[in-house]
Parts: sequence; C-alpha cells; structure tokens
Amino acid sequence: MLVINGPTDDSGHQDPGHPERPDRVTAVMAGIADLHLGSDLVVAPEYSATRAELTRVHEGGYLDELDMFCYEGGGDLDEDTYATYKSWSIARFAAGAGISAVDTLRQRNDGVAFVVTRPPGHHALRDRAMGFCLLNNIAVTAAKLTSEGERVLIIDWDVHHGNGTQSIFWNDPNVLYVSTHQWPLFPGSGTPREIGGLDAMGLTLNIPLPPGATGDVVRQAIDEAATPVIEKFGPTWVLVSAGFDAHRDDPMADLKLTSGDFAELGRMAFGFAPRPGRLALFLEGGYDLAALQGSVAATLSSMLGGEYQPESPSSGGPGSEMVFRARAERVLALRQAEEVPTDQDRVI
Amino acid sequence: MKPLRTIAVGFDGSDDSKAAVRWAFEMASQVDSDVVLVHAVGLLERARIEEVTAELRETVRRLTGESGFDHARVRLHVANGDPCSVLLRAKDAPLEADLIVVGSRGQGEHAGLLLGSTSLQLAEHSSIPVVVVPSQHADG
Repeated sequence: MLVINGPTDDSGHQDPGHPERPDRVTAVMAGIADLHLGSDLVVAPEYSATRAELTRVHEGGYLDELDMFCYEGGGDLDEDTYATYKSWSIARFAAGAGISAVDTLRQRNDGVAFVVTRPPGHHALRDRAMGFCLLNNIAVTAAKLTSEGERVLIIDWDVHHGNGTQSIFWNDPNVLYVSTHQWPLFPGSGTPREIGGLDAMGLTLNIPLPPGATGDVVRQAIDEAATPVIEKFGPTWVLVSAGFDAHRDDPMADLKLTSGDFAELGRMAFGFAPRPGRLALFLEGGYDLAALQGSVAATLSSMLGGEYQPESPSSGGPGSEMVFRARAERVLALRQAEEVPTDQDRVI
Repeated sequence: MKPLRTIAVGFDGSDDSKAAVRWAFEMASQVDSDVVLVHAVGLLERARIEEVTAELRETVRRLTGESGFDHARVRLHVANGDPCSVLLRAKDAPLEADLIVVGSRGQGEHAGLLLGSTSLQLAEHSSIPVVVVPSQHADG
C-alpha cells in the first residue's frame, strides 16, 4: 500500500524559468500512475503544519519574517531561493503533509508513504531559507515523531547535502542523519568529519561521493559505512529525503545513477524500517522530469514488491576509494571528539 | 588582540561588495594582512561557473589595480554554498580568516530584513569579527 498526501495547489509557488517548478510534482504523480496501484493507493488528508509543529525546528522570528515577506508579495530570498505571495501557505501544507502521511501509516499499521510536496525542504535551516527550500518538511515530521518518543533514521540520498536537516538535529540523540551526496557541490557542507554534537556524537554520518559515481558506489556507501551505524541506532521510524537529482540525466549535478539504482536504494531503505508502516519518503530535488518520473516509479515499485524498473542499476564509476576514506576520516573524527569533546560541539 | 593575518571579503560582484573590497584593501594596507575575496556558488550559478569566475577575476584585477594594493596579497576563493554559510566557514582551513568584511546588501537582498540578509545573519552567527560596510560607500 502506498500513502500519498492529499493534493495541494502549489501553482502559486513558481518563478518563471526556475527549475524548482510545479511540473516536478506532475512528473512524480505520473510516475506513481505508471504503477497502476488501484486500491493500494491511499490519499492522506491535506494538512497545514501548525506554528507549534513548525517551531520545533524553526525559530519563531524566522517564521514571522517569512510569513510577512510572502504577505508583502515575496521576491528573491537569495540567488537560488524565491517566495511568492502564496508561498507561505503552500510551504505550510508541504511541511504538514508528512505529519498527515505518518498518521495515516500509523492508523493502517502498514504501507509506505511518499510525501509529494514542494517547495523541497532539506536545505532550510532553523532561521534561514536556502537552496530552493523554505521550511524543512522532513525535519518537521521527524521532530513530531521524536516528541512522541520515536527514534528516527533520516536517509538523505539527494545529490546535495541536506545541511538544514543535519544542522537541526545536530545535537539530537533521537535522530540519526545519514547522507550520500556529490562532493564538492552546493551547499559545501557534508564532510565525514561532521559527526554530530556532544549529545549526539556519531549520529550524523556523511558519505561524500565524487562526480561520476555510479549506483554501485552509493550502495557500497550505505552497506559498508551506514548499515552498521543504523543497526546500532535501532530506528523506530525511517524517513527518506528522496531527491532524484543524482540521476545521470539531471542537470544540477554529475552523479550517474539510474532509476534502477533508486530502486535498489528504495529496497535498502525499506530494509531499515523496523516493521510495515514505518517508512516515509519526502520529495526533495530532481529536475529532469523524465528521470524524475522513472526514478520515482522504480523506487516505489521496489518498496511495494513490484518489478517496475525502466533502467538497470549502474556500476563502474569512481568513488569506492572515497567511501573508504570517508570511513577512515569519520573514525578519526570520532576518536578526536572523545579526546576533546568540546571542540566538536558546533553547528557547521 | 589577535593580529589580522587574513581578511575575508564577501564578493558577489555587486556595488556593495565592491565597496567592501575597497574597505578591506585599506584596512589590510594598515595592518599588513592578506585579503581573500570569497565568492559563493549557489545551485543556479553552478551551470555558468567558468564564465562567472572569469568575470570575477577581471573585477578583482581592476579593483586591486585601482586601489594600489599589492596583487600578491589578494586571492579569489570560490566555494559551493550560500553566501552566509560560505563566509561562516572562512574562519576554518584553508582560509583561516581573522575578519569578515561584507557590504550591507548583496545581490537580490532586501533592506531591513533579517531574512535573506547575509550581513545580518553573519553578525548573528559568526565567531570572528564582522565588518559591514554601509551602502553609501558603494560607487553605484
């Protein structure tokens, strides 16, 4: 069973020529339609995040400023990120969609959720929009879950490092953040030496990958570097920042994944969930519409036990050595942190 | 007080950032320090980064020539990220800056808002001193 969020009209959040555009959601929905799920497709109620839910991860002052900025007509927040008159409302629905989807999973105690919203969220910091992101959608849901006593694994396979999510949970012992991403690339954070704050040492895990890396390297990174940490952490929920801009056709980066690789990643994420109904994906990046449609369909199909896979998994690219080095750097950072703990307690 | 060995200047090519560069050159001349012009490459700019870098190098060359500051003590550092994050990292290796200088508003920024204001965000979060050069120092 696949749970998706209720339809929100996001057409009011767009900027002519900007790659983060409403057509992306259309492509994702086309990918879901390709699976012909019938009654196995469940729609969670539309839900707008409350201020109390947002202030678990964002500063109240930032929320007020964003609200006011949009009310006055919006504009460019930085060279990448825009907001319109309607963005505040749309972003709150995007931030609330995950909460609604998780509630639906809980009621049914089964299935996988895919939160198909925009704008994306994983770059949004506590007090700042950036990288096309206004509110950190996955963080809002993760914080709601931890407030209820859950232990949350966040896997971020977007091609860009999720600096906002990392920063928000830097010192949270109930969240394990795992990211694979191209390096170097925006936003410039995400080194293996970033391991978490004093109360969550080791609960940030970054595996940077070089341009040209293929799916086998990403799988190696998850298998060798992340799986032991995830198993030790023991998540009760798994959330995925599911960007699809690591696809070889995506214009925003240089990784060489195929839709078949995303199917493999989906299978791995599914395996980390402790039981059915404890896995939710959140749309982040992905800007080539055909690649997005095929990758979404392949990912969800693999999680639902289907065989839809328009492209084979890729292999043979560089990065194996970088994964090895990342593990070594992380071990060193953890060792140094134990020796001089106060030096590590900083948000990067 | 720690000596100012390296001054990092936020540089996006705007008039305000050029004013910040000129101020940094004057300061560096007085305290005998190096100047690193720091440019942040965002998600959208990446596609034309070579063109942008060439333009920035030319602007840096012109600004340095106009100021009379020693070319050998000026570097251009281009890094991935948003301007605030990139400048907050300037205190770390490889730049190890002792001071950050920025114009009061970068490209596309809005007056009076903390939201989207690199200078205000830096003032709030930086662990090294930040100098904000007012707009009236820009040559328009």
